[in-house]
Amino acid sequence: MSTGGAVPSDPATGSATWQPDSTAILSVRDLKVDFVTDDGVVQAVRGVSWDVYEGEVLAIAGESGSGKSVSVLAAMGLLPPDARVSGSISHRGRELLGMPEKQLERLRGSAMSMVFQDPMTSLNPVMSVGDQIAEGARVHRKLRRKPARERAVELLDLVGIADAARRVDAYPHEFSGGMRQRAMIAMAIANDPDVLIADEPTTALDVTIQAQILDVLERARQAVDSALILITHDLGVVARTAHRLFVMYAGRTAETGMVDDVFEHPAHPYTAGLLAAIPRLDTPRGRRLIPIEGSPPSMLSPPPGCAFQPRCGRASDLCPKNPPPPLMLVSVPSHYSACHHPLTPLQTPIAEDSDV
Amino acid sequence: MLAYATRKLLISIPVLFFATLVAFLLVATVDPIAEQRVFLLSQPGGAEQVARLEASLGLDKPLVERYGTWLGDLARGDMGSSTENGRAVTTLLGEAIPVTLRLVVAATVISVVFGVAVGVVSAVRKYSVFDNVSTFFAFLFFAMPVFWLGAVLKDLGIRFNDWWGRRIFFTIGEQSPRLDADFWGTWADRAGHIILPALTLILIQLAATSRFQRSAMLDVLESDYVRTARAKGVPRHRVVTRHALRNALLPVVSYTGLTFGTLIGGTVVTEVVFNWQGMGRLFLDSLLDGDVAVSQGWLLAVGVSVIAVNLLTDLVYGLLDPRVRHG
Ligand SMILES: Nc1ncnc2c1ncn2[C@@H]1O[C@H](COP(=O)(O)OP(=O)(O)OP(=O)(O)O)[C@@H](O)[C@H]1O
Ligand SMILES: [Mg+2]
Repeated sequence: MSTGGAVPSDPATGSATWQPDSTAILSVRDLKVDFVTDDGVVQAVRGVSWDVYEGEVLAIAGESGSGKSVSVLAAMGLLPPDARVSGSISHRGRELLGMPEKQLERLRGSAMSMVFQDPMTSLNPVMSVGDQIAEGARVHRKLRRKPARERAVELLDLVGIADAARRVDAYPHEFSGGMRQRAMIAMAIANDPDVLIADEPTTALDVTIQAQILDVLERARQAVDSALILITHDLGVVARTAHRLFVMYAGRTAETGMVDDVFEHPAHPYTAGLLAAIPRLDTPRGRRLIPIEGSPPSMLSPPPGCAFQPRCGRASDLCPKNPPPPLMLVSVPSHYSACHHPLTPLQTPIAEDSDV
Repeated sequence: MLAYATRKLLISIPVLFFATLVAFLLVATVDPIAEQRVFLLSQPGGAEQVARLEASLGLDKPLVERYGTWLGDLARGDMGSSTENGRAVTTLLGEAIPVTLRLVVAATVISVVFGVAVGVVSAVRKYSVFDNVSTFFAFLFFAMPVFWLGAVLKDLGIRFNDWWGRRIFFTIGEQSPRLDADFWGTWADRAGHIILPALTLILIQLAATSRFQRSAMLDVLESDYVRTARAKGVPRHRVVTRHALRNALLPVVSYTGLTFGTLIGGTVVTEVVFNWQGMGRLFLDSLLDGDVAVSQGWLLAVGVSVIAVNLLTDLVYGLLDPRVRHG
């Protein structure tokens, strides 16, 4: 615990302060989300904690079904009413869980906003693109029709829609998938949010325009100077765009830290597996990409202990017994991993009663 | 929108021609003198009489020629006249249509407005008391045959009048016979007459429309674009009215157009139950009397109204959905 005091960090959350003087905008603590379904209780998120700091790009990665979307939808207050949510989610210190809907509405689309995965279904087909972008400004800033429309043109222009003044009256079906996602991004930054959430914003798009849309997203983020939570399957995208990475597995934290640290010294075998599966320019020819064998568990009955253990080459008898807590790496204090047999050594667990 | 409307209007023209053909054939292919024929042919010299009868009705001519003649007369506003009372079909229709139109328009407007409202509230407050109660009544009325519901309401109306000691609900006819009243008096009298028959049609239409609106609304409320609207911080009432309702009206508009024919059927039955002298009565009498010209005129009038209503729903749909009007 020699480094424990040097960098302020929170062992319970598995996340370190990203810059000494930066403030957390969104803080998630021990978030759990269950869905009661006909087949049983789906434990979509099982206790994760993370922070997003001012101006940073936090990537959340993990295979399908690991609870990435559910975590951020919980933060936006957009989960279906039958979801059971516990823990804490706070925005600049204000608790969002249990906040009355009226107050949440005031934060949504102004302080926090979101870009969804599928631009083909996420826009209202019977409302013009301009009206949909202007609506945010009308609702939050009480702008009148004309200034709101001017704002929409300005935003469309910012996200790279040519001839924005004319296109503002178009309907979604007159836009291509890429243009629609640009419009979604314009909508999301309409009120200068301080945190922007993008849930796999390029997955539904043609590969040839995915990079463009990520550029637009970054440009938009810089224009409003917000933090970005980028959910993605693609660690290549993480390497290019994110400052920090949070890896989820089966509703829990697997590993988190600065992108460079995690890429250089992955401690969790799952992260190492994901990294081995990225195509890289510096990969020697002939070496094959190795996908992780097996598939993620059903969240109706996740395996006991470490959920990754059935697929893990390093698993021992200990792994199915206790779920490993996220612990700081010995070498890098802002880097945490939840593994009994890490690839790089972790600090020993802090006893419950010791001071932090 | 103008191009879309023009296109829809042009498509209606061949449909209209087709309707005239159907109206003509449905009636013309039935032998109007079937009974006389059997009787006359059993008599000596009957064959000649049959031939004379056929010639007087124009039945000796080929079908195509008869259709041509009928269409030509129609174009001049001559739909023939009743074989029963000799009155012009146009006159008979002119008397019956306004009576029925009153009923149909009142029932449609009220059932659509309330059906949409009930469906939306049911969907927004799914499984609430309101939703459950409206579901119960929707299935109850939906399962009821029109004539039966009409008869029940008529009976209830009579009991209510007896209990109240004054006639509030009229149960016979569309207005009091030999009524001598001013403009307002006439309409008040008509209102008293229309309540029960209109209610019969409204309850049944309302049941279907509200269920349809409810399921359309539930689908839309689950949609991604409604989630987007909520993610923008749009207040709930505005999400429902501005985003969800407009999309959820689309299937209901189509539905209302498609079931207009069924409504006409229900109207015929209701008019008979409440002794209205409208289109229902006219049709039934013409069938019973084998009154060819009246039946043909009636079918054509109803066909035209169905085409007009479908045109109207197409236009409303186009106003609501930019994908359709640009397509
Ligand atoms: N409304 C819901 N009802 C029941 N289960 C749900 C619901 N929403 C999500 N889940 C379940 O919660 C788990 C996590 O889902 P989530 O959408 O967060 O995954 P994800 O990490 O975003 O995956 P993907 O990469 O495929 O988007 C999944 O097992 C999913 O089936
Ligand atoms: Mg997802």
